[in-house]
Amino acid sequence: MMANIKKKKWTNYAFWFLLPALLVYTGFVIVPTLSSVYLSFTSWDGISDDIRFIGLDNFIEIAKSPRVHNALKNTMIFAVALVVLENVVALALAVLVDQVRWFRNLFRSIFYFPVLMSGIIMGFIWMIILNYNFGVMNQLLDMTGLGSLKTDWLGDPDYALISIILSTVWKAAGYYMIIYLAGLQGIPQELNEAASIDGANRWQQFRHITFPLLAGATTVCVMLSMIGSLKIFDQIAVMTDGGPGFATETLTYIIYKVGFGELRQGFGTALAIVLFALTLIISLIQIKLLRKREVQM
Amino acid sequence: MMAKKPMLTFITAMTAMTMALTACGGNDANNGGNGAGAASNSPDNGAGEDAPKEVTFSIAYATGDPATKKAIETTIDAFTAKNPHIKIVNYSETTSSAYLDWLKTKDAVGQFPDLVEMRDTKVFADAGKIVELPEDLHGLFKLLPEYDGKIYNAPLTGNAPQGVIYSKKAYADAGIAEPPKTYDEFLAAQEKLAASGISPIVVGGKDIFHMGFWTNYFFENEVYAADPDWNSKRTAKTASFTDANMVKAVTDYKELFSKYVDKGWLSTADNQTASILVTGKAAQLYSGPWMFGQITEADPSFEFGFYALPNREGKTVINGLPSLAGWSLSAEAAKDADKVEAMKAFIKFFFEPAQYGPYLATVNGIPTTTAEVTYETGEQMKEVLRLMSDDSVVKSLGLANWYGENAIPPQFRNWFYKLLQELVLKDGDVTEYMKQADAEYDNNVKANQQ
Repeated sequence: MMANIKKKKWTNYAFWFLLPALLVYTGFVIVPTLSSVYLSFTSWDGISDDIRFIGLDNFIEIAKSPRVHNALKNTMIFAVALVVLENVVALALAVLVDQVRWFRNLFRSIFYFPVLMSGIIMGFIWMIILNYNFGVMNQLLDMTGLGSLKTDWLGDPDYALISIILSTVWKAAGYYMIIYLAGLQGIPQELNEAASIDGANRWQQFRHITFPLLAGATTVCVMLSMIGSLKIFDQIAVMTDGGPGFATETLTYIIYKVGFGELRQGFGTALAIVLFALTLIISLIQIKLLRKREVQM
Repeated sequence: MMAKKPMLTFITAMTAMTMALTACGGNDANNGGNGAGAASNSPDNGAGEDAPKEVTFSIAYATGDPATKKAIETTIDAFTAKNPHIKIVNYSETTSSAYLDWLKTKDAVGQFPDLVEMRDTKVFADAGKIVELPEDLHGLFKLLPEYDGKIYNAPLTGNAPQGVIYSKKAYADAGIAEPPKTYDEFLAAQEKLAASGISPIVVGGKDIFHMGFWTNYFFENEVYAADPDWNSKRTAKTASFTDANMVKAVTDYKELFSKYVDKGWLSTADNQTASILVTGKAAQLYSGPWMFGQITEADPSFEFGFYALPNREGKTVINGLPSLAGWSLSAEAAKDADKVEAMKAFIKFFFEPAQYGPYLATVNGIPTTTAEVTYETGEQMKEVLRLMSDDSVVKSLGLANWYGENAIPPQFRNWFYKLLQELVLKDGDVTEYMKQADAEYDNNVKANQQ
């Protein structure tokens, strides 16, 4: 009885402690989110006080718009490429850093360093490196007698997408490396030793022991990189501005462009709702599949 | 009773904290947006009844070009030195390409400037964010364009014509003795330049606004010179992007970009074009007089010329009609009579020949005032001013500069420039691409009518 009273009293206090955070969260997240849902059914230009309800028109236009379809396609390309490459590179780096005997902390710091940079700064660095006329990349090709390979890395639609993907992998891999590294260090060394005694080579040890035991880290990394890749914005804004043409426009990018630059806040918000739904569905499927894999392991 | 006391204390503390937090977040916006207001509404500072009332107003303008930024800052400093009771809070901090986004953000956080360089008059006038220019300022200017029968802007400079800025050395090396007299001669000159081993034309295609320079050359010559109301006809669906003259304009555009433009044009920013020109990587740039200062700054010894590119018949059509742009008063600031007086005083001061002359000289601008303004100009600017005063030169406006019935949907411009980029990159069929332009234009018109 006394325990119940104490618990109830504590629950009351807990509520009051949580209230400030709840108020702030409500004001800055919940209210804007609900407002966004309403705005997605309007033709608001983002400036005037005239907010007209237009029903499902924005969503119908999204379904029909070739520009949105192109952005969706680019978003999916980014998502698949980034999830695969970021995780493969991060895992490879984690395994290497885990096994290296000397300068282990130095290597960890070097690989983690790009994570600390903002996406905007990283975008500027790569934009300068890849510039056609003044960029280091083309200058190096010139200096090494490979001038014929000079390319407009960010101006050619075929290379622009790849350039953004690779620069993003360079920035993000260190972050996932740390998660994989934590997972690797949690694997008992005896398992590998036993496998080694049984005649398993390095690859077989990795394939049948290390990788399965990293299932938890993989779930986290794959989900985070998927969400991150669906939100990709900074690099595109700085490096290509969605171009050349429409070649690197993604959903997040046109949400900004349409909402702010083209004075269609209502349409931009409808796109944001679509992106939210897409991210939610993909994340749920991903969690379900990866959790199932974790259980099987 | 005792149990309620801690609860009451807790609620009081929470309320106080919430209010404090709210104050932290909200004050900025309120003070920023109306920081001027707070000051302007304050009573006299007690300096005596004859002392002028202290007034503060905020100002903002696009600062993409450092020379323009410096020139306006110099005028602000001179004005506040002469009028110590007026304080000007300068919000300006953004480039030209992001100016609209920045203004919208300022508006969203309650910091819409009191006096603002307006480049999207229709949008902000429709939204009720700016008011008409006070009538007693109208007499300062030669010509003031109207929107919906109202005048909103005090034009900082006249609309500048664009033309070919060329390296004299590159022309001499390629054996081009004088500027071409027709567009076909211009194309022949491009062949000579390419043969001499230099990239003929640099384009800052990474900045989407830069794509308008060449687009407008072809549109003004092929379409607008003959039919200044083409845009309103397109809106009414009585004209189409697949019309013969429009297809011709875009075909010429595609040919020029495919053959003579520097290979890295899509990743070249507008502010890199001057460097590419002065370092001899390209021979020409199609831009306006605002580039003269940047080019001279990049290399003071670089010799360059400027000419307006004639069309195939040898006729010259330039971007030269006035458009809806210039200083505008915000609707919020207009409610405060003291602020309005202070802003009017600033505008009068800005356009006085003593200030306006040096400003025009710095930005290579075209005067808009009725008062005669004299200022030092280089040979390139002399050519610009000659073109503007030559009645045989047809004056027009670019695709997105028309206003009133001829205004295009605001979202169409950038989309269309991107479409043209794609057309060149994919070697697309012009008519097919123009069908897409028609569809998008109609969609935009429909969306904006909702």
